[in-house]
Formats: sequence, C-alpha cells, structure tokens
Amino acid sequence: MELDADSWSGEGAFTQTLIDVLKTLDHVSFVRVEDAQSSRSDVDYNFISNEIFVSFSTRDRMVQTKIFGVIPSSRTVTEPAISVSDLESTLCTFEEIGPPDYADGSMLQYLRTERIVPPYQTKGYKHVELVRIYEVGTKLLAQGDEG
Amino acid sequence: MVAGKRLGRSFVAKQCSSMAFFSLATAVIVVGLFILLPMTASTGAAVRQINLVTKDMAFYLEGDPAPNPTIRLTAGEQVRFNILNLDYGLAHNLAIDGWSVETAYLNADELAVVHVRVQEQLGSQAYVCSPHREMMHGFIEIVAKD
Repeated sequence: MELDADSWSGEGAFTQTLIDVLKTLDHVSFVRVEDAQSSRSDVDYNFISNEIFVSFSTRDRMVQTKIFGVIPSSRTVTEPAISVSDLESTLCTFEEIGPPDYADGSMLQYLRTERIVPPYQTKGYKHVELVRIYEVGTKLLAQGDEG
Repeated sequence: MVAGKRLGRSFVAKQCSSMAFFSLATAVIVVGLFILLPMTASTGAAVRQINLVTKDMAFYLEGDPAPNPTIRLTAGEQVRFNILNLDYGLAHNLAIDGWSVETAYLNADELAVVHVRVQEQLGSQAYVCSPHREMMHGFIEIVAKD
C-alpha cells in the first residue's frame, strides 16, 4: 500500500488510527492524507479537519454482451475490488474505529470530540477531529457550491 | 360622386376621433402609472438578504471564506436570513439569543428562513448554532443609519 502524507501536518490522533488500519487492508492500494482548510483553533476549541483519499485495487470481470445486439460475446471489465460502502463495513469491524457518523456511498465521515482540561485549569477546551474519507476521483464536499 | 366625398369625409372624421380617443386613453394610463407606481413602491421597505451557510462546523457568509464572520446590520432595517446547512451528517441551526430567534435544527441541504427587523439600539448581538455554540458563534454588529 502506498501512503502519501506530504500534505498532512500530522495532527489528529484518530486520523493516524484510520491510516494505520487502512494500511492493513488488502484492497486499499493507495492512501493520501491532507489537512483540510477548515482546521482552526480558538480559546474554547481546537478543530482539526483532515481528508483521506483512498484508491482500491482492481479486479477483472467477464461481462456477457451481444455484438449489434445479436451475436453473443464477452468482454473484460476492470473495476475496483471494493466500494466505499464495503470499506465502511470493514472499518466498522475495528473496535478503535467503529461506524462512521455519516456515510453516503462516496464519502465516510468520522467526528471525534473530547474535552481536554490541562493541569491547573477548570474549563479546558474542546478538541474536535473531523475526518472524511473519499475514494480518489470523487467530488469533495468542501468543493460544493458555497464558498 | 358627392355621396362618395361625403362618405370619405365621415370615414376620415371617424378615424381621427378614434385616434384621438386612443391617444387620450394612453396619456391617462401613462400619467396614472407615473402617479401610482411610486406610491406602491414606497409602501414596502427594502428587505436585505443575508445568506448564511453552515459547513465544517462554522457559519460562512455566501462567497466569503472567513468562518463565523461578523455581520454588520443597520439599525431598523428589515433583514431576511437564509440559512443553508451543507454539513453532511451534522444538524445545525441559527439562534440569536438576544432577539429570541431560533430556527429548527437543519439536516444537510435543508434551508431555514428568518425575518427580523433590526433593533434601533446600536451594539452587538451574538449568533450561535445551539448544539455547537462553542465552535459556531459570531457577532451581529448594529450600526447607525447613514
């Protein structure tokens, strides 16, 4: 499996967990991790947003067709070995990951929230990590209509 | 021949009178529109549209990349907030506590509309998303009319 983390700052413990698991999966051939533009911090919170792009290994499948709609024939179709939905099911089996907070067939989204109270502080701050997994080639949600 | 001349004159006279009638009617309509249109326009005050988008756990003004922006409104103006949630898997709303405004929670791709008349008192009001107010909060600044 090929990993490209050049565009990732390394922030996000859950993101790292996801990468570690993705590395072990047979049908995941490529993983690229990037910091999302929406990452930001304030006094009350630290919001980390990462995006993971995955490619799946491919497999060949024979498809029966008819030339001119009459003569029986067959051709080979190359397709991904698994889909994003299959990946979702696989990731669910890992205790440290579990089900996504949102999935729509082209994207998986995980949201992890915890309150961190440093020593000698009472309130602390909220740590939020948002991770989205896309299959390479699908349209990003962040590239929607609104800016 | 004489009868033909008489017939021709009365026909021309009829044409002239009908043209005069239509000209007069057109003039009345045009003058009436000039008088009535400004009256109808002045009865409805202009409503300002504010398009807010929620995504990535923040509010954005349409076309502005700054999260949770300060929204400047003029005292007394009528405003229509259009709130569109583009955060998939997350429900958001818009609440302005000082004005007792709170929309329902919006799922992704859902839109809410809020009409408000801005208070005359200058100052600022906080706007938030009720369940995510730590991360999704900004201010409405009320400025004086020119």
